[in-house]
Amino acid sequence: MNIEKIIENEKVTLKLEGRLDTQTAPQFEQEIDGIEEGCKELILDMNALAYVSSAGLRVILKAQKYMNTKGAMKLIGVNENVMEVFEITGFLDILTIE
Amino acid sequence: MVIKLLVSAFCNAALAAGLYAAEKKTSYKKLPYLVRQVITGVLFGIIAIYSSTSAGGVDIGGAIMNVRDASPLCAGLIFGGPSGIIAGVIGGSYRYFAVYLGIAGAYTQIACALSTVMVGFIAAALRKFMFDDKKPTWSYGVGIAMICEILHMLMIFVTNMEDVATAFSFVKKCTLPMVLGNGVAVGAALILVSLMKKERRRRNKSQKQISQTFQCWLLVCIVIAFVATNIFSSFLQTKMSEIQTESIIQTNIEDVHQDVLDASDESLLNKVTQIREEYLRGESVTKLAEKYNVIEVNIIDSKGIIVDTNNEQYLGYVMASGEQSAEFMVLLKGDKKEYIQDYRPTSYDNKTYRKYGALALPDGGFIQVGYDASQFGEDIEIFVGKVAKNRHIGNEGFIVICDERLNIVTKNSEDYGKNIKTVGIEADIENAVSGEVFEVDVKGEPHLCTFSFVEGYYVIGVMPVSEAMYMKNLSLYVNVFMGIIIFSVLFILIYFLIKRVVIDNIRKINQTLSQITSGNLNLTVDVRTNEEFASLSDDINSTVSTLKDYIAQAAARIDQELEYAKEIQLSAMPSVFPPYPERRDFMIYALMRAAKEVGGDFYDFYLIGDNQLAFLIADVSGKGIPAAMFMMKAKTIIKDLAESGLEPDEVFTRANEKLCENNDAGMFVTCWLGILNLSTGALKFANAGHNPPVVCRNNGEIEYIKARSGLVLAGMEGIKYRKNEMQLEVGDRIYLYTDGVTEATNSSNELYGEERLKNMISAAGEIEPEKLCAYIEKSVDEFVGEAPQFDDITMLAITYNGHGKIEMESVELESKLDSVALAVDFVSNLMAKRQIEQKLISKVSIAIDEIVSNIARYSGASKIIVETGVCEEKVVIRFLDDGKPYNPTHQKEPDITLSASERQEGGLGVYMVKKMMDVLKYQYLDGQNVLTIEKNL
Repeated sequence: MNIEKIIENEKVTLKLEGRLDTQTAPQFEQEIDGIEEGCKELILDMNALAYVSSAGLRVILKAQKYMNTKGAMKLIGVNENVMEVFEITGFLDILTIE
Repeated sequence: MVIKLLVSAFCNAALAAGLYAAEKKTSYKKLPYLVRQVITGVLFGIIAIYSSTSAGGVDIGGAIMNVRDASPLCAGLIFGGPSGIIAGVIGGSYRYFAVYLGIAGAYTQIACALSTVMVGFIAAALRKFMFDDKKPTWSYGVGIAMICEILHMLMIFVTNMEDVATAFSFVKKCTLPMVLGNGVAVGAALILVSLMKKERRRRNKSQKQISQTFQCWLLVCIVIAFVATNIFSSFLQTKMSEIQTESIIQTNIEDVHQDVLDASDESLLNKVTQIREEYLRGESVTKLAEKYNVIEVNIIDSKGIIVDTNNEQYLGYVMASGEQSAEFMVLLKGDKKEYIQDYRPTSYDNKTYRKYGALALPDGGFIQVGYDASQFGEDIEIFVGKVAKNRHIGNEGFIVICDERLNIVTKNSEDYGKNIKTVGIEADIENAVSGEVFEVDVKGEPHLCTFSFVEGYYVIGVMPVSEAMYMKNLSLYVNVFMGIIIFSVLFILIYFLIKRVVIDNIRKINQTLSQITSGNLNLTVDVRTNEEFASLSDDINSTVSTLKDYIAQAAARIDQELEYAKEIQLSAMPSVFPPYPERRDFMIYALMRAAKEVGGDFYDFYLIGDNQLAFLIADVSGKGIPAAMFMMKAKTIIKDLAESGLEPDEVFTRANEKLCENNDAGMFVTCWLGILNLSTGALKFANAGHNPPVVCRNNGEIEYIKARSGLVLAGMEGIKYRKNEMQLEVGDRIYLYTDGVTEATNSSNELYGEERLKNMISAAGEIEPEKLCAYIEKSVDEFVGEAPQFDDITMLAITYNGHGKIEMESVELESKLDSVALAVDFVSNLMAKRQIEQKLISKVSIAIDEIVSNIARYSGASKIIVETGVCEEKVVIRFLDDGKPYNPTHQKEPDITLSASERQEGGLGVYMVKKMMDVLKYQYLDGQNVLTIEKNL
């Protein structure tokens, strides 16, 4: 998968493209671990994301927990497939989705 | 007189027997306990009164010897405390008031009345505390009766302290008859009652009860101690009485002896004085001897030589030459003027007895006068006759004085002059030693006797032995009585103590132990009255608890093993549904629910080639491991034969032969086997004694397949089975079951039955096999309700669809995370080829991602095989791996309502698969995890 990172002051946007699954989750996790100290807002752009598996969910959860202490995290462009996964797993209640 | 006592004694026994018989009668038994006690008490009270009268007792002058005490004892010991007390009070009261009616002696009034009441209470107390409210054995009864009588005797002493002699005379007369009489009365009553009860001693002689051994030895010790004490004290008292009596007799005799001596000395001195005077006046010695009637008159000069004598032969005798005569030499020294010697042999001739007296003469020398017995006897006879006249020794003892010929000289005695033998004193005085006490008979009664010889007289003192021993006998009686009472009380006390401290506790422990050994391991022994029992209790408890643990472990192990057996049995049957996900030409479902343990039901199905489905249901006779093992054997044999392509009838015929071999246990199995041609719908089947299956036609007709059945398999060798055929149409269904279904019983003992089964199948409508089985199972459960299920419930349903099967493609991958993408691509490419929409591909891809990554991460498998097939309705994907057995369908669902911070990682993957796929099935086959997912299109 491809991850594009855009930093605007205290706002970081990660554009996710492809499949967030067992194989790609570690890559995504590295990105999350690498988010700057000063980041107050994290945007996950999921317009180009095909689907998410539980490995991906794990990292999203980690990001959410991290951002809860820093500021806020927002998911944008969530497609139907991914949305269904969030729904099944109860992530809808945890995440902020626009 | 003995007869009277015995009659009274047996009155008690007879009443006891009568009442005992009455207690057995239901009408009497119905009366309340207290009423019965009062009746018993009053009746025995009446017997007690009868015993006290002169009709039932023996008058001994002032008191009536009786067996009254036996009545309260019989009542109290045999029938219960209250009746004993009532009888005692009645008997005692009568005895007390009888005095005022003048029909009983006052002397023993209080003693007799009190002891009868006491005996009632004693009987009640002993029954309650010593015999556990049961009647004692006859030996105990006799003992108790005797001891109570002794207490009675003691009471006579206690209440008559100021007149012990009379009390003693009563006691001496009464003790033996009354003790024996009461003993006989109580003993007879107890024996009679025991005989009526037909008591048999069932005790094993080699196993005595502790209490028996204990009582036995306690009794031996107490008897030895008692006998020893009393023999010793009796011996001591006899000796002391003898010594005392001797000293009394001797003192008396000494006194008389001295009196006689004094009298004779005085008489002689008078004579000597007169003779001296006349001699000094010049009278010759010979004349003086004659005049004064003395045998000797000697004149001794100052040198101590007889110078003048009336007896020629003594002339010139030197006084100092003999011991007896030398005593007179004191007169020559001038210190004494007179000397009187007692009667004794002379120095001159020791066969001659003389009494000498001498007076000094004015010109030196002395005059000596000698008496013989006859001469001085005349002088003192009057005195001697009087000296012993008024003397007594004790109350009954007396003194006699006799002369040398043993003729009584005591004056004023009616026996004067008679020989002592003629008056009844049988003493051999001549050969006895003076001063020693010996026994003689006086008028037939034994007396203690001693004597002294003085001045020719025998002073003889006698005292009756009975008087001498009176105090000794009295104190011996009292001692023996007291001893018996004290030792009895001690015996009872020690017995009671041991019973309380040891025997009761042992009994308590034994009771608990017997409950424990009979299976109640949850009981604990809790006897904490003393350290030893506490530690015994603790030891027993810890032993039991250890045992309990072992048993629990063993039970758990057996349970575990049975559980394994059940697992193995169940796993021998295909249990993954759908078993052939790729096949759409038939649907099959089966379920088996074993009742508690491993049972004998089984079902089986398998494809023969590509086009035939064999399916069967069977029920092995019996239950448990043997049935399970026989079932495995039957199942394997049938499968082998069926898979070799034989027709059902031939399968059964051959299977029957094989199962008959070595079937020593005599087991058999009922079985229904069908082989369905999947392309034509032709069904061949055979039945070996099994319940007929139900066929449901696609037009709604439902019927039992009533083809003629063959004998059960393994029932008999050489059986040929019939082949049956029928045609199934598309949509036809077959339902197979075991008798666990039709013979399920509800709490009112009704059977579920074939009719109800047929109706329920009809009511279920045209549903899939799985739903039909669940429907019937639920229906059976509802029918059975709370009643326990004893039989296995097994069923199998097939729907014939008549369509083709799904083509499967497969790929083998390494078990690592890199394989995830390969698996996803493999399936999604296949799906894409079939123009399946991307959304479904994504869902299936997520599922594959989750499953394969899980296998790669956790199973430790070496490879993963992914098989997939797509048909019009669905996509089927199967994952096979050789890793650790793991059933994901059993995984707990994660809590998806938690907030981000509470969320735990993991568990989500399988959950997502379950949610997103339509079917998730797991089975473990041939050492492989087989996970099947299906997604409907």
